Amino acid sequence: MSTRSASRRQSNIGNYMDYSLLFIVIFLLGFGLVMVYSTSSYEANLHFNGDSAWYLKKQLGATILGVVVMMIVANIPYHFWERFAILGYIVSVVLILLIIPFGHEANGAKRWLRIAGISLQPAEVAKLGMILFLASMICTMGKKIRTRKGFYTVLAVPVPIALMLWRITSNMSSAIIVMGIAALMLFVACPDYKRFIILGLAGAAAVALIVFAIVKMSESNMEGMGFRFERVLAWLDPEAYASGKGFQTLQGLYAIGSGGILGKGLGASMQKLGFIPEAQNDMIFSIICEELGLFGAIAVILMFIMLIWRFMIVANNAPDLFGALLVVGALGHIAIQVILNIAVVTNTIPNTGISLPFISYGGTSVVFLLIEIGLVLSVAKGIRLKDL
Amino acid sequence: MKEVDYTHKTYHRNKTVVVMFLCLAMFLGLIGRLVYLMVFQSEYYTQKAKELHERERNIKAARGRIIDANGEILADNKTVCTISVIHNQIEDAERVIGILSKELDLSEEYVRKRVEKYSSIEKIKSNVDKSVGDTVRAYELAGVKVDEDYKRYYPYESLASKVLGFTGGDNQGIIGLEVIYEEYLQGSAGTILTVTDAKGVEVPEAGEERIEPVNGNDLYISMDMNIQSYATQLAIQTMETKQADSVSIIVMNPQNGELMAMVNVPEFDLNNPYTLPQTTDETVLSEEEKQELLNAMWRNGCINDTYEPGSTFKMVTASAALEGGVVTVNDNFSCPGYVMVGDRRIRCHKIAGHGAENFVEATMNSCNPVFVTVGLRLGVDNYYKYFKQFGLLDKTGIDLPGEAGTIMHKKENIGQVELATISFGQSFQITPIQLAVTAASIVNGGRRVTPHFGVRIVSADGNDSKSFAYKIKDNVLSKETSETMRYILEQVVENGGGKKAYIEGYRIGGKTATSQTLPRGSGKYIASFLGFSPADDPEVLALCIINNPQGVYYGGQIAAPVVKQLFENILPYLDKIDYNKLKN
Repeated sequence: MSTRSASRRQSNIGNYMDYSLLFIVIFLLGFGLVMVYSTSSYEANLHFNGDSAWYLKKQLGATILGVVVMMIVANIPYHFWERFAILGYIVSVVLILLIIPFGHEANGAKRWLRIAGISLQPAEVAKLGMILFLASMICTMGKKIRTRKGFYTVLAVPVPIALMLWRITSNMSSAIIVMGIAALMLFVACPDYKRFIILGLAGAAAVALIVFAIVKMSESNMEGMGFRFERVLAWLDPEAYASGKGFQTLQGLYAIGSGGILGKGLGASMQKLGFIPEAQNDMIFSIICEELGLFGAIAVILMFIMLIWRFMIVANNAPDLFGALLVVGALGHIAIQVILNIAVVTNTIPNTGISLPFISYGGTSVVFLLIEIGLVLSVAKGIRLKDL
Repeated sequence: MKEVDYTHKTYHRNKTVVVMFLCLAMFLGLIGRLVYLMVFQSEYYTQKAKELHERERNIKAARGRIIDANGEILADNKTVCTISVIHNQIEDAERVIGILSKELDLSEEYVRKRVEKYSSIEKIKSNVDKSVGDTVRAYELAGVKVDEDYKRYYPYESLASKVLGFTGGDNQGIIGLEVIYEEYLQGSAGTILTVTDAKGVEVPEAGEERIEPVNGNDLYISMDMNIQSYATQLAIQTMETKQADSVSIIVMNPQNGELMAMVNVPEFDLNNPYTLPQTTDETVLSEEEKQELLNAMWRNGCINDTYEPGSTFKMVTASAALEGGVVTVNDNFSCPGYVMVGDRRIRCHKIAGHGAENFVEATMNSCNPVFVTVGLRLGVDNYYKYFKQFGLLDKTGIDLPGEAGTIMHKKENIGQVELATISFGQSFQITPIQLAVTAASIVNGGRRVTPHFGVRIVSADGNDSKSFAYKIKDNVLSKETSETMRYILEQVVENGGGKKAYIEGYRIGGKTATSQTLPRGSGKYIASFLGFSPADDPEVLALCIINNPQGVYYGGQIAAPVVKQLFENILPYLDKIDYNKLKN
């Protein structure tokens, strides 16, 4: 089995291009650019001497770069990257560590590295690196993954990266995503369900307990406690923290709620006029809701569901486990990020900075997401048409 | 790499499907959340967002005017300007400083300080005449704002100051009719709603929503400016010649309670209500003392203060005695100059006594012993009953603020001596307006009217109007007794103590009074006269009260002539008005 004929695989490469997936991605990118312009033009106009397209231009540049890289990656057989798996992990660690001396601060957090005038977010590199590393590692482990030791080894691999992301870049959401990607890949790779159900229930119970404890502590008004967990308290009652931690959430809710069913119309958002700071970033979905209404919001979610569905098709028809795991990793990455982002803007979960894939403003994010799409397309190319 | 297990097993596929469906479930949950927020909570958040985005600017409503019986405007609005500077918009600061200090008559340093102050908007001067505001506006200076505003303006300055009242900084009524009719006069302010971004910069595309202000209703009052000004002149003249503390004159229509004039001199300038008379040395006053003096200056003596009415009250005793059947006009009395009540000896003002007299003559003479006698004949129960029936225990219900109540003995505390003193108008206190209204009901056939100024309100556009209705209490006195009283009181003016109010060719009734102010023995008196005309069917009733006159202090000597002069002038005038009304 391990010596599956290379010629057979080879013969199919280049035969199949997943145009559905490609179309969805291009649609999302185009839509994202429109929304970035819509959300940022007012502030850009104020800050960059009337250059209302400042953010759009930067995002367009990153998108074009991303698409080019994606097409290149899509045309390279994905096994090519397997040899860089360990290197990827090491590079991720190094880049994150480099933030300590060279980090560039923006919006009160050190998350960016500036190299030759291009800023880069190591967290994005780490996510891609983790997908590649885990896919390779799980394949190497083979059946050992079914053992307890194998299970916990896979679970332990992303922990250092996640911890570093959390502590060094104070970017908890990226840490959660890295852990989430790993958990999903592990879930697909293991035949077992029981462990995951227990793990899931334990996690849910822990979260419930923590929230309960925080609420109790704030009620008994213990000094300092209220402040430390304000983010959770603001989540439970944003209006009580309207000028503090609940500000962004509340402004987002105003945008979403005032959008109504049909929205105010593209470009007609009021909340983007400085009420939601940097509306083109993490809170962009709330402006989509405000301008395009419930219909627009559901349409965007449907596009992501279709994207994930295409990922599933590609993963399940991948020529081998490595390819499938790469796709599952990308699927996990995008799905977790979309779900968390929408959950944050709708105040379903406590506020944490998380961007909406393909739509939020952010160059590194879009380039690395497109690299992942390139990988998925590359895996899709390996699909023998008769399998579909 | 040989060990690498690349097998892609079925369970991998199944689990990928599970992941897919897990994601789908979460997406559906989020869609549910969105539906909740964007459909069911939409109204709430839309409202919240609107409040956040809209900025409200008030547009003042013009306050309703106060207009007299002849259509003269007694309280009006003047357009004034507020001139301010917006620091960021000023282009030529020196020119702005130069022009503003010149046009507004302000020192250059004062203007410079404000122009150079870094603030969003700085007020330079308010209550600037419109003409000056227009001049400033014509310069078209960048950064200088001229806002128009309304200011209350009283064309006749101090005329009827204590009746009309004035308004405060927010154009709200402070005293007088301005307070009582506040709800009609004030109107409702309009608003301009503009949409702004987070920094408060207006968003031009969003346009503005304008709610027009509704100007206040005009108030038409029964006061006649001509009568009021003439009565004021008389009052001032009397106050000066008699060196009195104050003089009050009430002129009312006894048939319906409409007040034609209410004078309380000294009056004050309604356009400068916070300026004390020039004789006061304000430098030595504390804020509280100054406020007390202001309150005293604003006080309407006709309704806010009570006094012992004295002999004018004998008409009440007479009415009660006649109504109660304890006396008739022809009953004969003898006045020895005093009367014994218990062990008290109550003196008549004529020490020698009036001798033999009938009841009409006793009233003409204002004979205390006779009135004590008939008062005692009535007894406490009956006297108190009529006192109450005439409405003397209640407030008159005049449409002015702060009416004082009657200060009267409790019924159980009234003994013979008290009853005796009440009978000639002492030992209790009522307001002048109370006396005028009670007298009106005695001479108008027994109908107690509600004294008032407010006649009707008319909306600013003139389309809506509303007339006020006032309570009239019928049969406080029988028509017959009322007719008798008119006869007796006419006799008082024709041949009795009120003859200084007699005018040839007119039928006038009335009663004089001279009361000592409390505490007794202070040597201070209040001289008063209450007159009405025509005596057989009164159309006008006037009460003149002179507070602490020097020299002669008898009501018949000094107050009756004032009412006479007033009637001489206003009776022909009132006839003329009626003539015109008939013609129209």
